[in-house]
Amino acid sequence: MHQFSSRRRFLELSGLSSMSLLLGGCALSLVEGVVGKTFEPLNQNVESLLFNPQKLIPEFPESDIEPNAFIINTYKFTPIIDPLTFRLVVDGEVNNPLSLSIAEIQQLPHQTMTIRHVCVEGWAAIVQWGGVRLCDLVALAHPKSDVRFVYFESADGYYESWDLASAVHPQTLLADQKNGQPLPIENGAPLRLASPIKLGYKQSKWVTRITLVNQLRRSKGYWEDQGYEWYAGL
Amino acid sequence: MTADSVQGRSHPIPRQRKPAKIFHWVNIISLLLMMTSGLQIYNANPVFGGRNGIPFPPIFLLGGWLAGGRHWHFAAMWLFALNLLWYGVYILMTRRWRHRFISGKDVKALQRTQNQKRRNYAWHRLAYTAIIPILLLAIFTGLGMYKPAQFHWIVDCFGSWQALRIVHFATVPLVVIYAVIHSWLSLKVGGSRLVESMFW
Repeated sequence: MHQFSSRRRFLELSGLSSMSLLLGGCALSLVEGVVGKTFEPLNQNVESLLFNPQKLIPEFPESDIEPNAFIINTYKFTPIIDPLTFRLVVDGEVNNPLSLSIAEIQQLPHQTMTIRHVCVEGWAAIVQWGGVRLCDLVALAHPKSDVRFVYFESADGYYESWDLASAVHPQTLLADQKNGQPLPIENGAPLRLASPIKLGYKQSKWVTRITLVNQLRRSKGYWEDQGYEWYAGL
Repeated sequence: MTADSVQGRSHPIPRQRKPAKIFHWVNIISLLLMMTSGLQIYNANPVFGGRNGIPFPPIFLLGGWLAGGRHWHFAAMWLFALNLLWYGVYILMTRRWRHRFISGKDVKALQRTQNQKRRNYAWHRLAYTAIIPILLLAIFTGLGMYKPAQFHWIVDCFGSWQALRIVHFATVPLVVIYAVIHSWLSLKVGGSRLVESMFW
């Protein structure tokens, strides 16, 4: 009798555990979506509460630059862009839409900053970027008062969206230089985003269009649409 | 509290306060979520060796991929940190910290007494006193990696980003080692009845 019951117990347990293994896989990925959707708004609220758009992030001395620590993550391909015919478009909810050549962009004040670039994968590298402040470009386009978000389109099809406060932070640059040299094509030449306040995947390379909007679209960004968090503030 | 009363002549079944049991359960569950989702994040770029480093096998991982691991990690972070916070307030308010954590008496006992039970008891208090700074270190280093722009001074405390990652990761084996020592000492001090009293 005892043997019988323990055998039955064993069968019960093995059945339960194999069922839970099968279900576990599906259930966990379902739960993962719920966990993400439940906690992302809370995390985002705390992150944006912490973020002070006026506060400058301390920079590093040039001697701290880590040229070999910076890893290139390419999404599809490296687009070939002719800098002579290149135009950067700034449009959307603006009173003065722009279409600028490289020469016109270079007339804006140029700024360099040595910051820590942090990748979502966990590695980081201290990099020096040089470029124009995004807030100067946005100001040129005269945004309407209800603009809250900024979309970035890239020549390789990558797309991103930012909250306006982060986009017009004084250390959010459209960079054309890296570590004192012209920006290499694999790092996003002629223009890429560079910022000490967002994770690496927010920093689009090969930016061709900046669109100011008052509402987020269904598509928030290449990685965000696959499940990454949207705010991604540092 | 003396070793005699722990053996419990008047109370043969050790009893734990309900808040202690709740804290214990939530701590175990949230730590398991933190560690498994943390190893999922680790695998994206191992702390040791980077892209060429050795990843952890899927059985230890939670979240399925990097974004899922991060969702779990940042959700369980609230459970873990707030649980530790309320417990800290609780032991301060009830003054339990006075006899729960290691004191001068335990240090003396470790140095002098030949009473093995007393020694085990002192070791045990040393163990669960030591876990508190480890858990706080996990939160502190984690905050440094989560918000390195806002809390750049935390990264500075450890010298470099890589050092910060190593310290944050080191809290995982430390917690595992603690769990083993803590369980073993509990068994030595109070037997299975004491261990069970922490859970049910």
